[in-house]
Amino acid sequence: MADRFLVVKVGGSLLKSGFPPTLLKDLKSAALNHRLTLVHGGAALVTETAQKMGKEQKFIVSPDGMKSRYTDRETMEVYTMVMAGKINKQVVAFLQSGGVNAIGLSGADGQLLRASRKKKLIILDERGRKVAIEGGYTGKIEEVNPQPLRCLMDLGYMPVVAPIAVDDEFQLLNVDSDRAAAYIAKALKADCLILCTDVEGLILNGALVKRLKLEEARENLPKIGHGMRKKIYAAVEALEGGVREVVVTKGALETPLTSALNHEAGTLIVPQ
Amino acid sequence: MKVKCPECGAEFDAPDDVIVGEIVSCPDCGLELEVSSIQSGKVDVKIVRISGEDWGE
Repeated sequence: MADRFLVVKVGGSLLKSGFPPTLLKDLKSAALNHRLTLVHGGAALVTETAQKMGKEQKFIVSPDGMKSRYTDRETMEVYTMVMAGKINKQVVAFLQSGGVNAIGLSGADGQLLRASRKKKLIILDERGRKVAIEGGYTGKIEEVNPQPLRCLMDLGYMPVVAPIAVDDEFQLLNVDSDRAAAYIAKALKADCLILCTDVEGLILNGALVKRLKLEEARENLPKIGHGMRKKIYAAVEALEGGVREVVVTKGALETPLTSALNHEAGTLIVPQ
Repeated sequence: MKVKCPECGAEFDAPDDVIVGEIVSCPDCGLELEVSSIQSGKVDVKIVRISGEDWGE
């Protein structure tokens, strides 16, 4: 059995029109040499489903300009339904159809992802002034229990994790999927974390950044746009936690994972 | 409206249209403070403790 751990995060943008078939094929190749855990996103489908159900989504802006969903109780219910239900099960079914023995989990299962609920958030109000509001149902991941993942991988399953955490009071919380993948990669002491998205990698000054050291990644954070910033931030956290390398890459390539592992595509981020 | 910083004791003015929940910064020590109540022109504040910047998916 392979002794190298690989964590792959598949962004919701890649799942909108179904799981990319080339990614499925490449997952099977990568799984020959790695014990592989998959984490998925799916924020856009949560928004779409909530709107279909008549639950308008409220978006808030942080003082640094980051726009995020405001997760109130009803939104958390829709989020759980879509993330741990529809998306997770569709990904599992698709992987199973391709011969990958996938098994779906959320961070609540086996207390895989434990988080502390954010009591307060600071947002910019309509006057452009900072205001503290109730934190809703979002959390900061504090602890990962990698045992359920290890057990499943030992038995030949590929865990597929939805970005939901549980807090001390067993409330379900919305957590960012890039950061959830980073925390899981740290806990598994993964050799590599691959963040698959809909762009080639980190673009700075109009060009793809092929390689970045941890220190350079930290320094460049303020210059990076919101969506990519979360990925680079997750990469920094993963590397600080002992993951050997992180690659941010396009998931719809012919061989997205093999190319990332061979440092032939995407942005490679390394400790030194 | 006057605000007293609970950290360094400095007194400073909050905007006239300040609201409960708003964040004001102490000009002396730079600490960010949340307005907890406004009564008869008196603004009470408390130190804000916020963790992290991302708010989930």
